[in-house]
Amino acid sequence: MFKVNNLKFKYKNNKEDVIKGISFEIKEGEIFGFLGPSGAGKSTTQKIIIKILEDYQGEIKYKDKDLKEYNNDFYEEIGVSFEMPIHFSKMTAMENINFFLKLYKNNEDVESLMKRVGLWEDRDKLVGEFSKGMKIRLNLVRALLNKPKMLFLDEPTNGLDPTNAMILKDMIREFKNQGGTVFITSHIMADIDQLCDRVAFIVNGEIKEIDSPRNLKIRYGKRVVLVEYKEDGKTLSKEFPLEQIGKNQEFINIVQEKEIETIHSGETTLEDIFIKVTGVKLDNENL
Amino acid sequence: MKTSRIWLLIKGELYRLHKYNVLFISILIAIIWGVVLYFVDSVLFNALLPFLILIDATMMSVMYIGSVMFFEKKESTLSSVLVTPVTNQEIILSKIIANTIHNLISTSLIIIAFIFIKQVKINYPLMLIAIILITAVFTGLGLLLSYYQKDFTSMLTNLMILGFALLLPSALYGFNVLKGNAWEYILLLNPVEAASKVIAGGFKGISLDWHYYFSLFYLLIGGLLTYKYLILPKFKDYAVSISGV
Repeated sequence: MFKVNNLKFKYKNNKEDVIKGISFEIKEGEIFGFLGPSGAGKSTTQKIIIKILEDYQGEIKYKDKDLKEYNNDFYEEIGVSFEMPIHFSKMTAMENINFFLKLYKNNEDVESLMKRVGLWEDRDKLVGEFSKGMKIRLNLVRALLNKPKMLFLDEPTNGLDPTNAMILKDMIREFKNQGGTVFITSHIMADIDQLCDRVAFIVNGEIKEIDSPRNLKIRYGKRVVLVEYKEDGKTLSKEFPLEQIGKNQEFINIVQEKEIETIHSGETTLEDIFIKVTGVKLDNENL
Repeated sequence: MKTSRIWLLIKGELYRLHKYNVLFISILIAIIWGVVLYFVDSVLFNALLPFLILIDATMMSVMYIGSVMFFEKKESTLSSVLVTPVTNQEIILSKIIANTIHNLISTSLIIIAFIFIKQVKINYPLMLIAIILITAVFTGLGLLLSYYQKDFTSMLTNLMILGFALLLPSALYGFNVLKGNAWEYILLLNPVEAASKVIAGGFKGISLDWHYYFSLFYLLIGGLLTYKYLILPKFKDYAVSISGV
């Protein structure tokens, strides 16, 4: 859907490029995650792809046509949810939504969207009286109200409690299952891990790795099985190589004869992989 | 540019001027000025009324559009508008038109009140043209000014300095401190002075000489050129810089 080739970008007052020649593709129908610490270039990349920042170098193609050739009708096809609340605080939630709704040709059923994010009952409240979590949920409604084909979500669950974060993640999955494409920027590893089909690691304006979370875990994880079992009233643990595990007699003996407490594969977390690949923690601390 | 979309944006702007109490404040100021004018003698009244209309159409227009821009900056709402099919031209024009309509209401209140109270003689079409043109031009200048201000307080401070700088030469000329025919021509290049000439043309009994026509076309052409070469091209940079997203 989007093909980004050798993208470079420099803010007017900066000496150095913020984005340093990155290339990636967002395939139709996938959830593509952009993962990196603050200041890595995630939001700048998103701003470029959604045509807010224009003076970039390199090539971006949307549906095989240069992004620069699209006029503002491009926005009929996309929905954008920003990290921070972007509502008129002295207007009610519905007044906000209705204002934006009328600017598009295609309109989503607002009532069902508002009910889905749990804001229908509060629709006539001033947005200024909303909690941060409610404003973030309203952001997603705002992004979806033109029935977009593609969603851009900047830190979509930041500031949400686990229940509401789950609702939003379910909605993102439903959007994908209905054929939509999603681009997510986030520093929250769990979101990326749970939602994304593929993920790119970006640090200091450079992409260090792109693959599916599963492939990354296989590639960077330890191929071992860790067994914890009880013996003589004590908890013991033993690690076995994953290769030929079914023929490993010691492993089979333990499983058959001992009281097993836990069995884990040596699968690593995305966060560990991120640190391993980039040498940078997600809170931007150099290792 | 779609007319239907512009109309939606104008309605939105007017609604927000109401919700954010800008309309209320402008009407309140108009009433206060009205009360002040009611109690002054006729000589002072004749001098003050055109001056208050001038201040309302020029400095107050800049202040009102400044407040709108800083409300939007504070709430990052412009970011959300930027990712709709609306064009930059539509956004700017809707703000200028809405602010002009809004200012027309408050200025008209003062004028209508004094038509009944003090039998002011107004050339209605020319006064309407004057208020619309001057408010639109100064709203545009207010937009441009707001691009370069950090916050509303700094905008107010700079507006006062600018207002003083623009009004001072005319005042000095009026008090004969600045002498000579050359000043008569130089001062017409001052948009506030040009605006005062155009407003004066809206009162009956004022002859429309070349000063009036020059000022009218100066504001019209100057306003259009400022819009095309400064307000519109600089808008995207401004919108991106305040988006904070």
